[in-house]
Amino acid sequence: MNTTRREVLMFAGGSAVGVLFTPAPWRLITDSALWSENWPGIPAPGHGEIRTRYTNCSLCTAGCAVRARCVGDQPVQLSGVSGHPLTHGALCPFGLAGHHLPYLPSRVKQGPAKEAADAVANGIAKCGAGECVATLDLQPARTASWTYRRAMAALKNGRYVAPSGDSSVAVDLSQARTVLSFGVPVLDGWGTPGNVNTARGGFRLIQIEAVESRTATMADQWLRIRPGSEDALAQALAGTAPIATAADATGLATSEIVALIAQLEHDGPTLVLGSSRLASSGRTVIARREAPVPAEWQKAAPVTALASLPDRSVRVLLIDESAQGEYLPWHTIEKKLVSDNPVIVAFAWSREGYARHANFVLPVGVYPEVAGDIPSAIDSVAATFRIAAPLVSPPADMVKPEQFVAAAAGLATGDTLRERADAIHKAARGSLFTYADAKSQALKDVTADAFWKALNAGACWIDAPDDKAPVAQLAAAGTESRPAEQADLPLAVVVSRELTPGSPILSKLYQESNLRLAPNRVALNPACGLEDGAQAVFETLLGKCHVGVTLDAGVPAGVVQVSGSPAVLDLCAAGVRAKVVRV
Amino acid sequence: MTSANKQIRAARYGMTIDVDRCNGCGACMVACSVENNVPPAHEGATDRKGLTWIRVYKVDNGEEYPNRRTAFVPVMCQHCGNETPCVHVCPQQAVDVDPSTGVVGEMPQRCLGCRYCMAACPYHARYFNWWDPAWPAGMEKTLNPGVTPRMRGVVEKCNLCHGRWHAAKERAAAEGKPDTEPVDYLPACAEACPTGAIHFGDLNDSASAAAKEAAEPESFRLLEKLNTQPKIYYRSKKEWVREIAAAPRPGTGKENTRG
Amino acid sequence: MASQSMDRQFITRGLTRCSGSKFLWWISPWIALLLFGLYAAALCLIKGLNQTNMDNRFAFGLWIFLDLTVIALGAGAFFTGFLLYILKLDELRSVINSAVVIGLVCYSGAMCVLAVDVGQPLRAWFTFWYPNVHSMLTEVTFCISCYLTVLAIEYVPIVLRNRKLRQVPSFLVFEFELHKLIYVLAGVGTFLSFFHQGSLGGLYGVLRGRPFAFREGLAVWPSTFFLFILSAAAVGPSFILLTTWLVEKLSHKRLVRPEVLQLLGRISGSLLAVYVLAKSIDTLVWINRTSPETGFQAWQYYSWKPFGSWILVAEIGLFGLVPALILLAPKLRRRTGWLVSGAVLACLGVALNRFVLTVQTLALPTLSFDRFLSYTPSWQETGTFLAVVAYGVLVYSFSFRYFQLFPQERELKIAAPQMEEERELVGRS
Repeated sequence: MNTTRREVLMFAGGSAVGVLFTPAPWRLITDSALWSENWPGIPAPGHGEIRTRYTNCSLCTAGCAVRARCVGDQPVQLSGVSGHPLTHGALCPFGLAGHHLPYLPSRVKQGPAKEAADAVANGIAKCGAGECVATLDLQPARTASWTYRRAMAALKNGRYVAPSGDSSVAVDLSQARTVLSFGVPVLDGWGTPGNVNTARGGFRLIQIEAVESRTATMADQWLRIRPGSEDALAQALAGTAPIATAADATGLATSEIVALIAQLEHDGPTLVLGSSRLASSGRTVIARREAPVPAEWQKAAPVTALASLPDRSVRVLLIDESAQGEYLPWHTIEKKLVSDNPVIVAFAWSREGYARHANFVLPVGVYPEVAGDIPSAIDSVAATFRIAAPLVSPPADMVKPEQFVAAAAGLATGDTLRERADAIHKAARGSLFTYADAKSQALKDVTADAFWKALNAGACWIDAPDDKAPVAQLAAAGTESRPAEQADLPLAVVVSRELTPGSPILSKLYQESNLRLAPNRVALNPACGLEDGAQAVFETLLGKCHVGVTLDAGVPAGVVQVSGSPAVLDLCAAGVRAKVVRV
Repeated sequence: MTSANKQIRAARYGMTIDVDRCNGCGACMVACSVENNVPPAHEGATDRKGLTWIRVYKVDNGEEYPNRRTAFVPVMCQHCGNETPCVHVCPQQAVDVDPSTGVVGEMPQRCLGCRYCMAACPYHARYFNWWDPAWPAGMEKTLNPGVTPRMRGVVEKCNLCHGRWHAAKERAAAEGKPDTEPVDYLPACAEACPTGAIHFGDLNDSASAAAKEAAEPESFRLLEKLNTQPKIYYRSKKEWVREIAAAPRPGTGKENTRG
Repeated sequence: MASQSMDRQFITRGLTRCSGSKFLWWISPWIALLLFGLYAAALCLIKGLNQTNMDNRFAFGLWIFLDLTVIALGAGAFFTGFLLYILKLDELRSVINSAVVIGLVCYSGAMCVLAVDVGQPLRAWFTFWYPNVHSMLTEVTFCISCYLTVLAIEYVPIVLRNRKLRQVPSFLVFEFELHKLIYVLAGVGTFLSFFHQGSLGGLYGVLRGRPFAFREGLAVWPSTFFLFILSAAAVGPSFILLTTWLVEKLSHKRLVRPEVLQLLGRISGSLLAVYVLAKSIDTLVWINRTSPETGFQAWQYYSWKPFGSWILVAEIGLFGLVPALILLAPKLRRRTGWLVSGAVLACLGVALNRFVLTVQTLALPTLSFDRFLSYTPSWQETGTFLAVVAYGVLVYSFSFRYFQLFPQERELKIAAPQMEEERELVGRS
């Protein structure tokens, strides 16, 4: 049989029409949609069993309780633990993205641990008369802080240095009817946010601040003063200086100050934050006994303020930057170092802080990789003990600052956290709140092992209330002087700190919405003549650095508000003035 | 066994947001991005090219100190119930209103990226992926398995945490509950808000906090006169905040310059 | 030399065209521009739309604005076809081929830009697969795709009548058969164009979330639906007039009788007058009823610099009423300067209308805590569009050189000296 060409063509044509009646071509068409949805390079989420684990957030002293939703062992989402007696289920934007921190691009991954140890040993040996070895602890009152104090005591010339702040004193918000805050971000990251929010209805907040911060926006009253005039106002309120002087310095009307004095008299008890010139009244500030400590640890160096160290006296400086705390500008530290080859070791997880200035940068684990305890928050009436139980393993080659410093000082240590927990358990007071079942029980009803296990699975020990605790006062930081006018540096600097560095997802709050002031940006009044987002140079007498500009009508003319970037903070000092010039 | 006459009790999921409580911390924005696998900003992103399914705006009354008043208003997709603008305009039916939940859902897999829905939305609640998503090395491990990451060229927006709704449905099914009943769940923003400003619930359920608060006189919705019937109610005791909801002020030179 | 004569063989008998090398000089810069523009477009396709300056508030930008303008200008294709084949205005036979080429170039160029403008061009077929009957954009997609096909089919006879190609017998037969369909094609083209020009207007008129653009209307069609059809029909003939005059100037040839251009001007003027009336009524309704009902007072829209109320006056007055009056006045129509100016103003008016609805709509705030935003296209966006312009010029240049776009050209060439005298006489009166 001969197939003709015509028949072949007819067959082909018929098949073409026929195949349209089959699913084949239509499936192929819809499959092409799938190809356009799943291009390579788009990451796919992991798979695994969904588990819930608990820990405490160690990014600040609030130490909020955290419930982590994990895929296998990897946390993918953090939230608060509702029902927690102190943190009330709150978690701030930084804590909500805490599980991203191990993957930060600015992570320090390696460091010369052996060389650093040798250099420190040499430095200690070379210490002359009047010279010392100092450990700078940016988040004091931790268990590790005790180790540093013990280590410095073991050295003949060891000093333990911490930023100012007294952890033996606590604020009781429930006792305050008025809170007078001199620029303290009461409603935006101070104390324990969950506790502040719960207590908010019970007090009237008067915010005294040069810029319209978040706290100023939410306060019952915001009094805008000139930068640096807080001291003058506080003295007038305390009656130690004439009101007219304060009015002159702050820019407030005399009547406003008089009205404020009357308010404080009638609407007490008043809690005063941010100034030591004016005393808090009632039982708003009380002494707080610390969480028990093993008896052997009492041989520990006292806390020294940085300012009280003699200049050019520190030969070896060990900076523990592993826990987030207040960044002290480098120039305040640098002048305490000896001029000939001081040894500076920074224990840091990010390259953005003191790593820029240190000789040796040693990598450490970051939340939520490492176990460490969190000091009691300032607004926690009773002492607390909680451990940031690790949720993921740190990378290899991480250094443990506690062990390094102890070894350098020849101090033998064991598992200090366990020893601390045992000492607390021995004192047999207070209660244990466990997160998994949201239950509270008296500590004396729990064995030491069960206590340790609970702390590592997500729990919080809260000391028993001490009704006989004496009234105390808060010590505030050194008073700011009113910045002197300077022709070529026309802007007064106001610092409002953000927790930095944070997860890359915080770009949502920074460049993607301008809701918060990004660490690498400064805020200026819209009348400054620069555009929003402009690149500029921020300059003070201490140097200059590149910043971006955010326009904010809440910042008055003549003022520049800076955020918490260490590079910018290095250029700031009390009363400093600046200029911002477009690049 | 029985007739197929199952009446699904439809929910109308909505929210009340107390503007007087919102302190602009941004926890809701971060929680939303973590839950929904929204990538961090590309280097060139600004507040006009970012991906913020929920965005907190700082609003003020246009006055100078001491008469200056400021508030924070979180805005996400308002889940319009009447003639939903974006549903009508999408040429591919990539947007629909789920009749059983009232949620306006977006199918990024079908989106062509024509951005017509973005022009249609008066609340600016829709965001376009101008870049491919990129996370720093290792951070992909922290992605939520319940939500698909999107690629560039598609529009995305708040869907009241649809992944959580699905998980709640599965849990309810596993517990043997009838699937004709709405489920109880909480979107990430409502769960994360530290001041408790966001209350989420079924507006059809008169017992829910959200439904009760929505009916109160201090509750209002944005751009009510457009008659889009949004399901997001805002609450404030301050008159000037309620005026914000109505329409734009003409240019006075004192326009809000933040966010 | 041999290539020159080869080239000559493709040129219609009886017509003179410049030398091959001169033609190469003419097309070289356009090719360069095309290549640059293709590079800009490639950047947008490969790297993504972050190459543009569009953002979440300015979801539509230069491309959409220019697409709409170009489609409105290309309406001359369908309208001339309608006037010629359906309404039997035979004078327009002398420009119909040129109109078809312009239409093809405008529509195909717009489609190419749209393919770059969407975030996922590979999903373009989804609109056909999952159409949304409520969406104006679905309607636009369907009609424009169909109409582009119609234009392509209408272009085929022009190509096949090329001097060399018509020597192929099957082509000749095909072209002859195809020409029988021309009335069907014209009718279909008119029908499709009516709907897609209207739907393009409907795109904005249905935006109830944008009170600046939102209009009431008839059933599901907002008034902008009808206004867009009117304006496109009005400006199509003007654009044909403009391009014909421009080609005459560039080629130094008489291509059509001046009466044809005047006829185009008269048609354009009358439709423009109707459009201006309709638009004025629509604007008044919008100012007094539609907009206030949404809570937005109309004067608020014009309180943002630079979009003051001058833009409304310019759109309806300077670029609407003025060209309408010019083109309706017979004395002015007979003077080329006035005729061309009127056509230019009319085209600019349509461009301004599309600009206002695209850019001003998106620039205006809708929430009180919005800002008024501005937008400048990036070079990639401008480059991509310039590629389309270059493409258009190249296609038209090739068509003009090798195909008979202007049937009257040959007889006008013969009668050229006579025409010169007549023209002078006419010019003086």
